[in-house]
Amino acid sequence: MSSATPATTQNQSKPRWERYVPVYGFPVVNSFFVVLSLLVIVAFVLTAYRELAGLGPVSGMNDAYGWGIWKTFNVMVLTALGSGAFAVGIAAWVFRRKRMHSLMRMALLTSFLAYACGLLLLGIDAGRPWNFYWMVFPWKWNLHSPLAEVAICMSIYAMIPLAVENIPPVLERLWYFDSRLRPVVTIIERRLHYFFPWIIAAAYLLPGMHQSSLGALMLLAGERVHPLWQTPWLPLLYLGAASFMSFGCVAGTTMLCCLVWKRAMDMEVLDEAARITAWLIFGWLGLRLLDILFRGALGTAFHFDRFAAVFWLETLSIAIGGWLLVRSLRFHDPQPMFVGYVLSSAGGMIYRFSPTTLAFRPNPEALYFPATIEILVSLGFISLGVLGFLIAVKRLAILPAPLQEWYDMASYFRFRRPYIRWTGYFKFGFFGEEESEASGSD
Amino acid sequence: MAITRRELFTRVGKGAVPAAVAATVGVDTLQAAEPIPVPSAAVGLLYDATICIGCKACVAACAEANDTPADTRRDFLHQAPTDLNDVTRNIIKLYKPEDGSEFSFVKRQCMHCLDPACAAGCPFQALHKDPETGVIGWTPEKCIGCRYCTITCPYHIPRFQWAGFNPRVTKCELCRHRLEQGLKPGCTSVCPTGAVIFGPRPVLLLEGKRRIQSNPGRYYQDRIYGEHDNGGTQALYLSHVAFEKLGLPELGPESVPARTLRWQRRFYQYFALPAVLYAGLVQVIRKSIKGHEEEAHEREKRTGLRAQL
Ligand code: SF4
Ligand code: SF4
Ligand code: SF4
Repeated sequence: MSSATPATTQNQSKPRWERYVPVYGFPVVNSFFVVLSLLVIVAFVLTAYRELAGLGPVSGMNDAYGWGIWKTFNVMVLTALGSGAFAVGIAAWVFRRKRMHSLMRMALLTSFLAYACGLLLLGIDAGRPWNFYWMVFPWKWNLHSPLAEVAICMSIYAMIPLAVENIPPVLERLWYFDSRLRPVVTIIERRLHYFFPWIIAAAYLLPGMHQSSLGALMLLAGERVHPLWQTPWLPLLYLGAASFMSFGCVAGTTMLCCLVWKRAMDMEVLDEAARITAWLIFGWLGLRLLDILFRGALGTAFHFDRFAAVFWLETLSIAIGGWLLVRSLRFHDPQPMFVGYVLSSAGGMIYRFSPTTLAFRPNPEALYFPATIEILVSLGFISLGVLGFLIAVKRLAILPAPLQEWYDMASYFRFRRPYIRWTGYFKFGFFGEEESEASGSD
Repeated sequence: MAITRRELFTRVGKGAVPAAVAATVGVDTLQAAEPIPVPSAAVGLLYDATICIGCKACVAACAEANDTPADTRRDFLHQAPTDLNDVTRNIIKLYKPEDGSEFSFVKRQCMHCLDPACAAGCPFQALHKDPETGVIGWTPEKCIGCRYCTITCPYHIPRFQWAGFNPRVTKCELCRHRLEQGLKPGCTSVCPTGAVIFGPRPVLLLEGKRRIQSNPGRYYQDRIYGEHDNGGTQALYLSHVAFEKLGLPELGPESVPARTLRWQRRFYQYFALPAVLYAGLVQVIRKSIKGHEEEAHEREKRTGLRAQL
């Protein structure tokens, strides 16, 4: 299969993603960027206030709903969207779906940002964060606690395997940036590659553990979680939801980027991603419905209450999303595919949000609605992730593109922006020549 | 493709199958409720709702014994908390049905479960069951303020302090500081009718059974709540109305953590299964990386552009 078609680049009608190419020709700072930065600043200021005033004055949390959106949305939901490094990575490295490698850098980047922002907010949400230092004493851990598992495993994952997996694009940029750095970069890269199998394997084991433990968190809450959601299978369902949601996030974001920055889409890669996602979705839906059936909870889905409404909203949007994905495969049509990703991921988000919030019934009178400050901080940390993403795709080679895009970028920096020294991808005047190790004596 | 996938399964299978066999052999023994050990010097409370007159002396005494300020937030005059909260470890509540049938008071405080859900979830063992007395105490130096305990406790006992930069988790700790000095808990020492008494758990159980026997028909279901419920608790209840009405849910004889975290605990036992998975993954990925690198270098030769891995 490998090199059967040597002349793929010439095939203009069917673009193939063959190289990661940074987004060029668009300034990093634009009005959207400024708005996001303002949101981040507001969130930082409010965070400082929260650290002084405590959680009560800034949030809608109360004795009945001890957890608010910082945990239940920014961590539970957004890290599921950010499990791309896990799900896409397993498809690419373990099941050797070679085409998925084109999406790998997107997956790694979105994962890292989602986890980093989630973890920051997890620290802000904790009432006594200074006691996190117990994390360095493994014998003090409560190994039976799903929360300990989540907190420890997530931090280790984001700080070691995920961060390391994101180093290659940075090194690559350094390599192109200055020829004096090349020997060092090459040495570091070689070291890195040596450890990669262990790091990548950890990058699949750890999220597998903590994404399922996120589901296990609510097991202890017992009957207070509505029977449509409370099941011993919660860990597996959480993991499954994370898998298809993250595929949706990675592929959907890539498509959106292609649209915004006018990139060609490789329908072969996208089709394969959609096919995998559709399988994941229908497998997951089957498991979920069987579980509800066997526990005899199906009746509650036909009550006329908010729980049934949430259930149907979530199930239908996931199912319709899956159906759209399958349809898009027949016509290789990016439009229903994108809508399919959006719908299924939105449904998955509702699913991940429900057990802790929408379907959590601590007592009949209790209510929770996030306070304004709470929402602003939550938004601010999402903006932080988006900011990071925008900077990264414009400064590093993250987005996949046809080979031609690389040459276009090289000539762009040479002829249209020759004065750019620090922000361009290449060293001044570099044209993408002198790439082989032999002639790198510059 | 198919071959590589099969290869993955066999690789993982080689290690996982023995592990799975071991697990399934052990299932029968693990499936049965594991008996929960009762601490050697387990102490507790026995509350009898049929005797309680609702004077709330114990509420005031509890605040005094624990050196907490009186909660006057309701009318800024009286110590009248409406529920357990960040300064209230003990509360008397009234259950009064609308149809005019029997009413009852109920004293709510920590049940000191034999297998506590709060401690099962607490990440760094800030909530910890004393191995001797069985009292579940809170250690401020280990608490990260995650509030998981307020979600896991089936009786909804621990309360988080929502104001301030140094919040505490408040729950009845059976006046462990007083027990150390040889004193009785605050609440039991002031109760005018003896509705709540303190003692070693076996003695309290005997006393409860004696009361049930000498007053046939007086007590709900003729049983003590907490003898077996939720795996057994150290605070025991007698009542003339249904326990559920008093906020004591029917949880069955198995404790909440044992019932809900069984599979979770088995999966992580000795970290054996994760370790096997990890080893299998490393093997498969090693091979994939080799293939991927070869392909990338081939492409480098073809395009003249540096390989991107
Ligand atoms: S009643 Fe709640 S707080 Fe008390 S020991 Fe049991 S689980 Fe913990
Ligand atoms: S809030 Fe404190 S005591 Fe409660 S579970 Fe979290 S760390 Fe443990
Ligand atoms: S044992 Fe102590 S802390 Fe617990 S309710 Fe009684 S007085 Fe309060």
